[in-house]
Amino acid sequence: MTETPTSIIQACHQASDLEVRPDLTAAHAHVWEKLAAPGTWWNGDERLAIAEVVRAALDDADPTPPWESASSSGRIPKNPFIASELQDAVYRLARHAGTLTEDWYLTMRDATGVTPQQWVEVIEVAISVASVLRFAQVAGIEQPKFPVALGGEPSRQDQPSKPAKHHWVPVVHLEDMTPELEPFYEGLPALAPVIRALSSVPAAMDTLTTLGNAQYIPMREMVDLNWSRGTLSRRQIEFVAGRLSALRECFY
Amino acid sequence: MMLRASSSANDLELDLSLVRGEANENEAVQHAPALAALVDASINDLDALPAARSALVEATDAATMLDASAVVANFEMMTRIADGTGTRHPSDRLDSMSDMNTSMGLDQFISARV
Repeated sequence: MTETPTSIIQACHQASDLEVRPDLTAAHAHVWEKLAAPGTWWNGDERLAIAEVVRAALDDADPTPPWESASSSGRIPKNPFIASELQDAVYRLARHAGTLTEDWYLTMRDATGVTPQQWVEVIEVAISVASVLRFAQVAGIEQPKFPVALGGEPSRQDQPSKPAKHHWVPVVHLEDMTPELEPFYEGLPALAPVIRALSSVPAAMDTLTTLGNAQYIPMREMVDLNWSRGTLSRRQIEFVAGRLSALRECFY
Repeated sequence: MMLRASSSANDLELDLSLVRGEANENEAVQHAPALAALVDASINDLDALPAARSALVEATDAATMLDASAVVANFEMMTRIADGTGTRHPSDRLDSMSDMNTSMGLDQFISARV
């Protein structure tokens, strides 16, 4: 039988003695299907190359300090699909996100030549890998391997994003909603800045929403301060979220 | 912070030092020590993860441990989105959080975009 991204996730979840929620398995399978396929601004080989750096950074038992080049240290194998400067940026995002500054972001963009939208897609790949691999690690489940890269060109579908007051990257404001963003914007009076952050790339919004709905709280239940799946209470959910964010030194 | 909001909504007293300090048993967050141990091990001591996982399952059940692991995964995602895109809070929200940010030392983070 041919192995697919979905079957890779399903096999890992089913091999454990634990009953992983079907919606959580489906969410991880969904982002694994997208992981090494052509995206909006990067092709499948490039996305997989970014994913490899994220995995290397997460697994690094003796990480390089934030200010050092991980690619120069030999920790990341050279990859023909992305430049070493981008590898360094991805490593730092994956391992030392709490140390990023606006100066770093601007310098990184000069050094790598990536556009803000390409950077948003880099983040999308990073959050897919971090979510799937860290869930497996923390739950004690076998970590899924990466799918193989698929051929094809990125869609290069642009959005009417504008410079933003609350982000380094441009975002699409509610009043500029496009059909691609409708599933994420429709009916909402406002959108938290951290959700709007990825809006210049709707496929990244899809990844965020899919994972957030299954791993945390469905977006439209967010206002219910007593929402629960019947396991963790809302306060327990927020306690885990707050403690993790503090340990990651994430102010937001 | 949503933890403060969800506690206030239920008229529960919450000592926010729980988030960064020692997690004691308390009314607002049941099984806080076991949940904290899982989170802390996931970041600081991977060798301690199996024991933390088992302790949480013993205190609750396997489904709860899985959901806690999923929340950890989710905030491995959210922290990278926030810090990778330079997301900052609107000024009115920052004002409402200022006492908490100072008392918990959050304003000392490099990522404090205020």
